[in-house]
Amino acid sequence: MNLSFAGCGFLGIYHVGVAVCFKKYAPHLLLGKISGASFGALSACCLLCELPIGEITSDVLRVVSEARAGSLGPFSPSFNIQNVLLEGMQKYLPHDVHKIVSGKLHISLTRVYDGQNVIVSDFPTREDLLQALLASCFVPVFSGLLPPRFHGIRYMDGGFSDNLPVLDENTITVSPFCGESDICPRDLSSQLFHINLANTSIEISKQNINRFARILFPPNPEVLSNMCKQGFDDALRFLHRNNLISCTRCLAVQSTFQLQDVLDDTTFEYDTDCEECKTHRQDALVDDLPDTVMTIFQNAIDSANSGIVNWVMRRRAMRYLTFLTIPYRVPIDIMYATFTNYVGNRVEVHSVQYKVAQNVFVHRKRCVRHNNLMTRFVTCTPKMSKGLWKLSLNMLQQLHGFMYANHDRSEAAARIYYKLTMDGKIDVNDGMQLDRRRASEFRITYGDVKSGHDDVDTFEHIMNVTSHNEALLAYYYLDGENKMKMTEIYDVTDADTDAVQSPMERDVNKQLEFDNDWNSEFIPDSDDLDMEAMDDDALADRNIFSDPESEWNVRRSYSASDSDGDQPEADRRGPYIELA
Amino acid sequence: MGSEINLETTETSWTGGWFSWTRQSDVMLRNVEKTILSCLKTAYKRFYVDIGSVVGQSDKIWTISLNDESPKTPLVLLHGMGAGLALWCPNLDAFAATRPVYAIDLLGFGRSSRPKFASNAEKAEAQWVESVEEWRREVNLGQFILLGHSLGGYIATAYALKYPDRVRHLILADPWGFPQKPANPYENTNLPLWVRAIVTAVQPLNPLWAVRAAGPAGKWLVGKTRPDISRKFLNYVPDAEKIIPEYIYQCNSQTPSGESAFHTLMSGFGWAKNPMVGRIDQLDPKLPITVLYGSRSWVDNSTGQVLTDQRTTANTYVQVINGAGHHVYLDKPEQFNKYVLEACARSDDNDNGRVPDKVAPPADDGATIHTVNNITTTDKSSNNTEPKTTS
Repeated sequence: MNLSFAGCGFLGIYHVGVAVCFKKYAPHLLLGKISGASFGALSACCLLCELPIGEITSDVLRVVSEARAGSLGPFSPSFNIQNVLLEGMQKYLPHDVHKIVSGKLHISLTRVYDGQNVIVSDFPTREDLLQALLASCFVPVFSGLLPPRFHGIRYMDGGFSDNLPVLDENTITVSPFCGESDICPRDLSSQLFHINLANTSIEISKQNINRFARILFPPNPEVLSNMCKQGFDDALRFLHRNNLISCTRCLAVQSTFQLQDVLDDTTFEYDTDCEECKTHRQDALVDDLPDTVMTIFQNAIDSANSGIVNWVMRRRAMRYLTFLTIPYRVPIDIMYATFTNYVGNRVEVHSVQYKVAQNVFVHRKRCVRHNNLMTRFVTCTPKMSKGLWKLSLNMLQQLHGFMYANHDRSEAAARIYYKLTMDGKIDVNDGMQLDRRRASEFRITYGDVKSGHDDVDTFEHIMNVTSHNEALLAYYYLDGENKMKMTEIYDVTDADTDAVQSPMERDVNKQLEFDNDWNSEFIPDSDDLDMEAMDDDALADRNIFSDPESEWNVRRSYSASDSDGDQPEADRRGPYIELA
Repeated sequence: MGSEINLETTETSWTGGWFSWTRQSDVMLRNVEKTILSCLKTAYKRFYVDIGSVVGQSDKIWTISLNDESPKTPLVLLHGMGAGLALWCPNLDAFAATRPVYAIDLLGFGRSSRPKFASNAEKAEAQWVESVEEWRREVNLGQFILLGHSLGGYIATAYALKYPDRVRHLILADPWGFPQKPANPYENTNLPLWVRAIVTAVQPLNPLWAVRAAGPAGKWLVGKTRPDISRKFLNYVPDAEKIIPEYIYQCNSQTPSGESAFHTLMSGFGWAKNPMVGRIDQLDPKLPITVLYGSRSWVDNSTGQVLTDQRTTANTYVQVINGAGHHVYLDKPEQFNKYVLEACARSDDNDNGRVPDKVAPPADDGATIHTVNNITTTDKSSNNTEPKTTS
């Protein structure tokens, strides 16, 4: 069973809704290949990497708000979609993303010189993948003038040749345009005439005409939120119609042998006797987007509507005024963009230089000078400030390493320390996130999860586990003295530390990791199995589908040792099976 | 009226067609159709059936018949909006294996005459029904199984309403015009002004106006906007990616009389003025109906549900074909053929259930007038002569 996401520019928020639904109700369908063009390819990649949907949503909303900010909307010179996308990808995609998605992700590209369609699925390095994704999102003139290269050949948006790459007969097509796709909005229109553009069927209706304009001109957050909801509902309807929603236990049995013929003649029969399936299907009928996503939208909508500036801008007179002043604002915008790009690039170049040179001695003075010189622009442009931030962070680290080196008066030690600080950067980031998230007073209750050795259950260990894993379940409440209490439950089966697993357990896990007989098809929903295995009272009464975030995050395994990352994902899930 | 057979006019025009905006000619249409039909393995006949003055002065309906010697109940195919009989080619062989099959170009489409229909929805519908009935009388069919796709499904239902005795079994493939236009007062509030302006501007035009307006580029336009239809024929027709757009273009670039009639039947954009949903209860309760859908179809899927709910008798069968769209007979031809043949077999079995009142040709007063005029020319012999002989 394969999935295919249509390219659709800013309408891509629809795919987010679809992805949420699939993760929640049909995770077994995500094991096959996923193809896509343009934004569809991006969503496919995110889905394959199991990125947390909440962060992706807020990132899409960030891009949209940046696009809407300029004088000419997304066509303003100061808005560079390629840069914004690249930034987002660099930030969110894991380091071994190319290993995860190679062979699974199929990106549709259009070769520039002959207009032919090319589908890429092999990515030797992370840069290759990023290049392919960028090329797949490249709309000439809108994104820039020169299309990016992938393996030496220039490509542009796959939407120009094949917008909805269908890999084989068993492909579920997802398109935000009402038409003849498996998952698409069903507008209240007669739905009689439709056209087929680049393999995407598009009905000729008022709503679709409106949607078409939204491809490059993003709508406001309310509309985006509705689109996302629509995606969720449409996907749910599709799953329901095809009887693809079952309880986890039935899924585990079925998915091993029946995945292939869902779209065939024979309809997929769910077990009518299973009570759990029935309730699950009933729940699905009345379900809505999970709160995690909804809150993000709500925040975006609120921030767009609140405040006196927004209020003023919403007045009709003000809207006309903004429209009429476009001829005056555009040249200013162009000047501003040229200037900030120039300065920003210089800052960036310097920060790269420092990183490459790795020599504090030679450049320190210049560096400081630049720092002073540039501070006056810091508030002008986010790009510049970001570059500066990186630069100063980098400098601090190097200085730190250098201090240690001086202290030891040994070249070798200096290098080691230097390396340590570079490696430590990841941890620093994580720590920062952690701090930001729990800025207020917090307490970690850590009793529910079985821990092997109480004597090593120190605060450091807990910090270690919590900073590397997302909480399965977190709840907050006010106690009698009006103090905020927070409880988070972590899945610690793949955290390889003494704090959470006894040495014996770890040994068992280690042995399992070398058992290569498993492949991912047999364990489609291993974390759910795992949940059932740990029959703690705390987990017993918990509806495992109530919080989709919990399922999305547990597989993000930052193992203590990096070498783990080289093993196929299935191997790393070994412990689940054993526990089940 | 004038334009039904353009062969003479195109050839004798002193400008030689140089100044015509569209690249339409009946010769091309006939040749293209013949190329498509060459994929058939069953022997077939193509002929015009003169139905006299039903809508225009002397209307002719272009017909293809296969296996017409078989004694079984014949199957009559009505195509959808903007299509023609050649598009049935993936299905004809399978159908003809067991029974006689007739496929016609509806009046106002394809190679049939293109008279001007009434501008009133009820009248236009009645004219279409009458044209089918006249055609039946000419071809001398008693009872038959009627299969309609899209607009053809609407006409087939209207026919079954008027002549319930003629129809042994009604098969509707993704029919048009069943649901009521939903009343939605907020329909336009979310749309920006420019979208509403475009929609209002396009509303009075015929549905396929763009194809004719594009003139010489029309064929290219058809190929670009509906490459999916051509792709479905790749297994049947050699060079389908050129031939099929050509055929569709040639079918729709002539005087759009059938299209105008369809436009008359429409209210809003694509809804029926007199939707079938209000008239289902008038259908003969004994008439078995089979409804076939593609699961991806964008025509409202509730139609089948409405039919089963409204009809109390248990002879309504609804089949959803997975992975197929609106052109359900092209998307999954094997399954479609299978379901249609099953429905046909069912109607054969039910011979006793529905007593055919008049299996023999009816002795109506007008029945004998035109029967001799059926010029049935086999395909092999007659390319140049057929239009002349019919006129």
